[in-house]
Amino acid sequence: MTNLTEASMIDRDEIAGSNGRSIMWIIISSLGIVMTAGAVAGYLAEHEAQGGGSLGTAGMLTLGVFAAIIIGLAFAIWRNVRKMKASNEVLTRREKLNRNYVWGFGLAGGAIGLCLAFYDIRFGTSATGPALILADSPVSPVIALILAFFWAVIMPVTLWFWHKRAIDEQEASAYRDGGYYSAYAFLIGAPTWWMLWRGGLAPEPDGVVIFMLFALLWSAVWFWKKYR
Amino acid sequence: MKNQLKVLRAMRNWSQADLGEHLDVSRQAVNAIETGKYDPSLPLAFKISRLFELPIEEIFDDEFDGGQHDRS
Repeated sequence: MTNLTEASMIDRDEIAGSNGRSIMWIIISSLGIVMTAGAVAGYLAEHEAQGGGSLGTAGMLTLGVFAAIIIGLAFAIWRNVRKMKASNEVLTRREKLNRNYVWGFGLAGGAIGLCLAFYDIRFGTSATGPALILADSPVSPVIALILAFFWAVIMPVTLWFWHKRAIDEQEASAYRDGGYYSAYAFLIGAPTWWMLWRGGLAPEPDGVVIFMLFALLWSAVWFWKKYR
Repeated sequence: MKNQLKVLRAMRNWSQADLGEHLDVSRQAVNAIETGKYDPSLPLAFKISRLFELPIEEIFDDEFDGGQHDRS
């Protein structure tokens, strides 16, 4: 039939593989930059709250460390993007649509997160840095309505189109697996925490923490199944 | 599940992305099927079979040996 052997078929797809490792480092580095930027904002807000003025040597040193972390993470992103470009990966129509959806969600989520973080620093919580993610201080009803509308109306409609048009059966399968893992983790983990709290052995169950662990586990399993 | 996808697409000089476009799936999906990390659904397997004009069992091998184990 053919004299082609698998060993001789090294093409650009071989080099690209699943690109999962590069994508993982880009995501981790991006999150690291956002969190470090949050820590910088929190540090400066704290400094301002304590009277402001010159930062001093220790302050400059701290900011220098934060800046070095951000530069290091940005370098890691650049390096991995270059690596992916070197593989000449060609995206199919579905993948392009998928990528555009992810970028859209990422930018919208990033913008909302930044606005809320600045709002919290300015008007609300005393939390700083990564702890801002768990901030639960009151927001104005208008902001609450806008965010609730985004979460409860825009998200489901967009996700419906995403599942119908952008993702394929392999990714749908990865999502389903993520759903199984996170659903079982929730069904087992949440009551366990509740029981331990009732026995005085654990702090009171926190809905936000449970939600974030649920979403994190789902995303991790999806990523593993899609890109492994 | 083992399969001949990589050889078949190479015979047509297609990249994984080219095959993905033909099947309306992502390159990741083609890569996952080729490397045996994901088994396609029956509709997708039929689509692959029609595309390469080969029976499914000539493309995919479930390594079933016919059940002829020594049961003595």
